[in-house]
Amino acid sequence: MRIHQYERVWLLASMVLIVGFIATITYGAVGLGITMVDDRGATIAPDEINEDERFGDPRVEQVGDDEYEVYAVAMTFAFQPDPIEIPADSEVTFYVTSRDVIHSFYVVGTNTNTMVIPGEISVVTVEFDEPGEYGLICTEYCGAAHHEMEGQLAVLEDEEFDLTELEVEAPDEVEPDGEIEITATVTNGQLEAIEETVTVELGDETLEESVTVEGDESESVTLTVDAADLGEGDHDWTASAGDLTESGTVSVVEGSEDDTEGGDDA
Amino acid sequence: MSNVARQEDPASVERIEHDEFDPVGTLALIAFYFAVLVLLWLFTYFVEFLGNVPTPVVVA
Ligand SMILES: [Cu+2]
Repeated sequence: MRIHQYERVWLLASMVLIVGFIATITYGAVGLGITMVDDRGATIAPDEINEDERFGDPRVEQVGDDEYEVYAVAMTFAFQPDPIEIPADSEVTFYVTSRDVIHSFYVVGTNTNTMVIPGEISVVTVEFDEPGEYGLICTEYCGAAHHEMEGQLAVLEDEEFDLTELEVEAPDEVEPDGEIEITATVTNGQLEAIEETVTVELGDETLEESVTVEGDESESVTLTVDAADLGEGDHDWTASAGDLTESGTVSVVEGSEDDTEGGDDA
Repeated sequence: MSNVARQEDPASVERIEHDEFDPVGTLALIAFYFAVLVLLWLFTYFVEFLGNVPTPVVVA
């Protein structure tokens, strides 16, 4: 077969091009470790999501040093949790599943993008080097309000990120001869122990206590005040730990019927 | 429908060898297409794709 010299050049060049394509993708996969979203995540029945240990409570969890897992749920027409807060410079694995129809989980402007299929758990591991705010959208048409399906992904500076929660238990109403007990509980969702100064204020009474909360543990601080010292009427309380604050009002009233939410054991 | 060359004056028809055919213009055009293709690929992969960090990676 007689092949013209120029055609030989062209054939060779096309071969080089194909080899080049394969080489770049191999470099991406082997050299950079880039992966496609596959079916390595397990399956889950969409109607059992609420009972699931992970997706029943969509959240961010620390699983190791600089390693976090996000359990997220997509549904018509929202993402849970929203916003999702993760630290920068950490390995974050998103586990995403759907309650209803096919959605997607696309962190706008990045390659962090996966379909979210009911029954399947999509697993995506990424590391954000820079803190920033990202939009989260659904790119699979999923219904009438598909265009409104969005969420927020906040990548925070390592020092700013925590999984600390403050919960306060306080009575709504107390008898004038009773005691008001306000309990502030600090929960540390991270693995490393944290130091927090917990402040509980009620009327003129202030309780300030430094607590050390071990990883995955919680610590409580209780302020007890005699209702008689405050007198009848409404009294505001505030509890804070770090930059978290909770506040409320307790009423000292004669003949109150419901002594709800603890503090009634006086 | 008939061949155009046949209608021409036989004296003006030049016969050349297979390898003597030398379409430099076509070669230049194809070389240009090729260069464009390579640049587009480099841009698509290294700038558009790898530039949109983070990209899902395999965890060891
Ligand atoms: Cu959707």
